[in-house]
Amino acid sequence: MSSGIHVSLKAETLGHILGFPITNSLLMTWLVMVLLIAFAYFFGRSLKMIPGKLQAAIEWGFEGAYAYIAEVFESDALAKRFFPLIATIFLFILVGNELEFFPGVGSIGFFHGTDFAPLLRAPAADLNFTLALTFIAFFTIEVTGIAVLGGLKYAGRFVNLKSPVGFAVGIIEIVSNLGRLVSFSFRLFGNIFAGEVMILVAGYFLPYLLPVPLIGFEMFIGAIQALVFAMLTMFFIKLSITDPHEAH
Amino acid sequence: MAALFAAFGLQLPLLIAQLVNFAILMIALTYLLYKPVMKTIEARKQKVAQGVLDAEEATKKLSTADAEATVTVQQAEKEAEGIVASAREEAGSEKMRIVKEADARAASIAADADARAKETAAKSLRESEKEIARLAILAAEKAMRT
Repeated sequence: MSSGIHVSLKAETLGHILGFPITNSLLMTWLVMVLLIAFAYFFGRSLKMIPGKLQAAIEWGFEGAYAYIAEVFESDALAKRFFPLIATIFLFILVGNELEFFPGVGSIGFFHGTDFAPLLRAPAADLNFTLALTFIAFFTIEVTGIAVLGGLKYAGRFVNLKSPVGFAVGIIEIVSNLGRLVSFSFRLFGNIFAGEVMILVAGYFLPYLLPVPLIGFEMFIGAIQALVFAMLTMFFIKLSITDPHEAH
Repeated sequence: MAALFAAFGLQLPLLIAQLVNFAILMIALTYLLYKPVMKTIEARKQKVAQGVLDAEEATKKLSTADAEATVTVQQAEKEAEGIVASAREEAGSEKMRIVKEADARAASIAADADARAKETAAKSLRESEKEIARLAILAAEKAMRT
């Protein structure tokens, strides 16, 4: 432990391919994708009419999630359209977060002089990943609002010249919408990054035992954050398609 | 702002790469996982519904079959009763006919026997009369010869 605690706010760049930076977070993202797609491929092909335990559990999860989404949207058609997006957000973040605690992730890496760069880093501990997801959520929310309510009606939510109060509400609406870009991305990044730092610090003080409950807690946080991101996306979509005059 | 981006390691190529990653993952999972699983759930739901419908129909059919069977058995019983009754009736009349026939035959036999007996008696009477006459003639001849 000659180097002490080394905390990097940004994902370490491992190298460049044709000028394209390859960071450890990006590598981990690809690993998560490969795992998820491989699982989906083999699981999707082995679906049976009489389900095994795994299939029954996954079907139970899908059915529950779908029913919940349909209940929030109050529409089966909308639920069908947005289920893939919400489920993918959840699974992508969840698997990335949980994989972070597997042995070797964060501990296997390269030394550049005294600096240590791990080979793998949790995707959500890199702002590029969380911001990308945030953009997807943000644009989905806004585009859905425009598509469902119509451009003029949706714009009327932000620019309201009928009364001073209405105008102020419109300004607040704009700020809160744009604020999502920051809150979505930094909530996920902050939680996961802070968890990593906390485990790192705890491991520095007491390498055995102390990190164990913290790792358990951080795994829980990882699942919760995946759920929060997916559910907030869903709720904001619902808000954007709800006519403000009908909602009250 | 640029300093902030640099501090967090924000780079446009990485951001775009992550956007593309998400798009690929979503498309792949949609076609490999979500759609097949949802289709399976839907198919099973339909199958279960069909099964319940079939079971209801079978129950209905069973009850109608029961009623039909009862009716059939009742009919058969009635028919059987009729057959037995008619058979019994027929047997009764046959018996009477046989008895009557037997009676008639007995009567005719008796009459026949009676007639024959009378005839025999008459014949024997005639024969004995003839004998007597012949004896009388013989006796008369003998008397004359002497």
